[in-house]
Amino acid sequence: MLSRTAENLFWSARYIERADSLARLLEVGYRISLIPNTKSGYINEWESILETSGIKETYLQQNHKITKEKIISFLLFDTNNPSSIKNCIKNARENIRMVRTAVTLEVWNAINSTFHDLESNTRSTKNILKELPEIIEWVKRQVNLIRGTILNTQLINDGYDFLILGTYFERADFTARIINVKYFILLPSVNYVGSEVDNFQWSMMLRSISSFRAFKWAYGEEQINYIKIIDFLILNMTCPRSLIFSVEKINHHLERLCKFYKQKTKAKSQVKLMYRDLKKLNANEISNIGLHEFLRSFIKDINVIYSNLEKKYFFGTEE
Amino acid sequence: MIIKVNHKTLYKYSTEVPKLIQCVKLYPTQCENQKIMEWEINCNSGKIVESHIDGLGHKILNIYNKNFSGELEITSKGIVKTKDLSGIMKGLSEKVNPLCFLRNTNLTLPCKMIENLTKKIKKRNLIEFAHELNLSVSNSIKYVSGSTSTSTSSREAIEQGEGVCQDYAHILISAARYCDIPARYVNGFLYDDLNASENATHAWGELFLKEVGWVGFDPSHKKCVDDKYIRINSGFDFLDASIIKGIKLNYNGNESLESKVFIEPCQ
Amino acid sequence: MFNEVYKNSKVRKPYNQIIDWAKSLPENVIVKKKNEAESLFKRIGITFSVYNNFDSTERLIPFDMFPRILSSSEWKTIEKGVIQRALAINAFLNDIYNTAEIVKAGIIPEDLIFKNPAYEIKMVGFKVPKNIYSPIIGSDIIRINDKSFKILEDNCRTPSGVSYMIENREIMMRMFPELFEKLKIETVENYPTYLLEILKTLTPLKCENEPKIVILTPGSFNSAYYEHSFLADLMGVELVQGPDLYVDENITYMKTTKGPEKVDIIYRRIDDNFIDPISFDSTSLIGVPGLFDSYKSGNLNICSAPGAGVADDKAIYAYMHEIIKFYLGEEAILDNVKTWRCFKADEKKYVLNNLHKLVVKEVHGSGGYGLLIGSKSSKKEIEVFKKKIEANPSNYIAQPILDLSSVPIFSKKELSPRHVDLRPFCLVGAKKTKLVSGGLTRVALKKGSLVVNSSQGGGVKDTWVINE
Repeated sequence: MLSRTAENLFWSARYIERADSLARLLEVGYRISLIPNTKSGYINEWESILETSGIKETYLQQNHKITKEKIISFLLFDTNNPSSIKNCIKNARENIRMVRTAVTLEVWNAINSTFHDLESNTRSTKNILKELPEIIEWVKRQVNLIRGTILNTQLINDGYDFLILGTYFERADFTARIINVKYFILLPSVNYVGSEVDNFQWSMMLRSISSFRAFKWAYGEEQINYIKIIDFLILNMTCPRSLIFSVEKINHHLERLCKFYKQKTKAKSQVKLMYRDLKKLNANEISNIGLHEFLRSFIKDINVIYSNLEKKYFFGTEE
Repeated sequence: MIIKVNHKTLYKYSTEVPKLIQCVKLYPTQCENQKIMEWEINCNSGKIVESHIDGLGHKILNIYNKNFSGELEITSKGIVKTKDLSGIMKGLSEKVNPLCFLRNTNLTLPCKMIENLTKKIKKRNLIEFAHELNLSVSNSIKYVSGSTSTSTSSREAIEQGEGVCQDYAHILISAARYCDIPARYVNGFLYDDLNASENATHAWGELFLKEVGWVGFDPSHKKCVDDKYIRINSGFDFLDASIIKGIKLNYNGNESLESKVFIEPCQ
Repeated sequence: MFNEVYKNSKVRKPYNQIIDWAKSLPENVIVKKKNEAESLFKRIGITFSVYNNFDSTERLIPFDMFPRILSSSEWKTIEKGVIQRALAINAFLNDIYNTAEIVKAGIIPEDLIFKNPAYEIKMVGFKVPKNIYSPIIGSDIIRINDKSFKILEDNCRTPSGVSYMIENREIMMRMFPELFEKLKIETVENYPTYLLEILKTLTPLKCENEPKIVILTPGSFNSAYYEHSFLADLMGVELVQGPDLYVDENITYMKTTKGPEKVDIIYRRIDDNFIDPISFDSTSLIGVPGLFDSYKSGNLNICSAPGAGVADDKAIYAYMHEIIKFYLGEEAILDNVKTWRCFKADEKKYVLNNLHKLVVKEVHGSGGYGLLIGSKSSKKEIEVFKKKIEANPSNYIAQPILDLSSVPIFSKKELSPRHVDLRPFCLVGAKKTKLVSGGLTRVALKKGSLVVNSSQGGGVKDTWVINE
């Protein structure tokens, strides 16, 4: 397949995943704004939402104050924000449009109509705060529709691998970032452990990756604690948003590509090592290394793997 | 006259160039005015590939380099036996109709001053007219080394009143085309026995005169080309006739260029 | 004006059955079907980009459901005429880039060719693979009366619109299958197969194996991008952009996830000037450095050949009858439209005195831009054009204001006639030609308008050739 086709498929899937993550972040923000008595925490929360989505600076360049309405419209519809949901959907569609024939008509229709509907949503939205839950629901539904269509209609060939790789590179990166932004609430601190604030913060984080219920299922109704959360978000193979889950997927699909093309790649051997090491780790060990340190090196490793994948398959410059 | 030439072009790059493709037109023209006795083109790095001979008779080479860093030197050298045919180019093996060279480019668009150059000349026959035109172009600007750049147009040169051989050639071409005489830009070498130190690549013009064909006029020396000239290539203007054109891919560094030529008569 | 449906208030034969059908459609069904068609177009993604000074937006090209119908005997004439013209155009290009016999024979003035900016001197003396310069020619045809079709202009570079021809049919078949069961309508869906077949015959000198063919597009912002990807898909070839290709040692490769793959034939949909920043416009970002030398060293074919555009120049157009006669020894089957060439003093004089009843066109213009329709222009506009013609007469030609034939469209309440033209796509390969029975019918949606270009309020219709 043409290198650019692979690149466009990868990025299209990546943008779709990003739109999904942003929708979930917004959902959390919205929830918090409904809960009383969290005034100071609430502004912090919006700030960390900006931070997690990696656009705090862009936002501050264009807006002086951090306000709920502004942030929502910045994350949803603002075309000046390269990572707004609107731009993500637009970019996903633009990438797919460039390789229109590498996906099935159904996949194209799903992405294309999401784009067109979002355009008209933007125009018809009058009260962004009031309509937010509906819009978030809609984004999540569309993303699931697109992903389902990919699973159900695409040939399971190399193009499919690039689509899935795009999804999981984004997810690994996003989950790592969201934990990193919140890493302080996962630190064992005498003052906070077990307090109301603590529980609240943790549950909010779980919600932001749609894993609140899942966590309860996996760990029962016992008290939430930080070791369990680390285990769940990083090392639990049954959690589709955990780091190890994404790494396993990346490993699997890179391996398929190597077999398919009968060629070795650096990216593949690196991710294999990474996966092996993660499997051996436990949450206490991560806590000992230092959560922050661990995440920093995780994000760095994922980026190295991506850049090798890019060199090999997108640029054709791997030695 | 038998002339020995050694021409070097040196490119320096500040950082590694991922991909470099060059198109080289550096073989002297084979015609009655000049006979190539020996000639070779070399490059200190990369792969040289012969491409084709174009409609104007240029033998075109391509040089390909990957992940190149440092200095790239392209050498073109050999021995040419020249004849003085009073500027008339005989035996050119080209297939392009001369009328094509009535088209102007951005570098050769005429202006009032250039138009006026042509109006002062009394029209007798075409050949005399061309010689007169060459002279009046010679007098239209002063030769000042370094006074113009590679992107200076004929209009800019005549308006500022100074220029180098490239500008003389552009003004001549511009004026000739204005009078419906096909004209073109020529690159080559000139052996100057009086100022041997000033030998360099040179540029002049060729005008197509119906009775005799293409004739080489050198307005910077107020004469027609003779046996001290070696013709390399021709084109619509300076840009079109460049002897080396290159494209660097994915490169953001700097490029500097030096060119040297040693010319001497052979016994 | 020739009404294609009614002659002396009787329905002409090709339209016999369709007119009853159209009239039997209740208004609500028409509206419903119209919406259905629109949503089909939108879903599939058939849009084109419109450029203005501010931004580019994607729009749907308006589609009208009433088909344009030609009988197979009418089509025979068009087919023969278009193929004849395509062969003559290629012979002409081959001649003027080599020995230019037609000039030596005094048939075409040398100025017209050699001073023409579309005449590419880099192509002179080059042996183009199989002597085919322009393998895809889209000629615009208008109908004058019952008997006569005329060619308005030829497009020899990269004519577009063929995807609409195929999609219009697809949509009509989905919406009105009953019509296709009843009437014997010639198919057009073979076009991509034919195109591939034709391109495959155009192998470059150095190509021993089955040639690798790609389509080169400027990118997804180009107005015809949909068509490029549509054709690539149906032909089963890669759609590439400049950066997907590179040249090494004069061989052209495309970058794939498996590594470099050699390319032999490029069907390019980008203009001459942008194909290679070394040999042409050095600022081009959509081209491929070294491509032209790869072509000229016999490692690659570029279709259409750079410089092929000189043949669709409107000044050359005026000589098309002579061109056909000179190379094929035949009389032209399809007539030209009477054309005044402003570089000739007497013709210019006529034009300047009769601007109010003429259409004036720029010799190198296209897409309906830069033209003057005398009868529809104000005095001031005419004065402006007069000055333009005086300043640069060889840049203009003039033609009579033609009454394009009309075919009805479904307008709000009833069928209402609108002007149409026709663009069939003729394919020319090594020793063979192909033409599907049909083409793109463009329709001026505004009542009375003669401008059918999609960029200026034109729409499209499905074109049927009915087997009698």
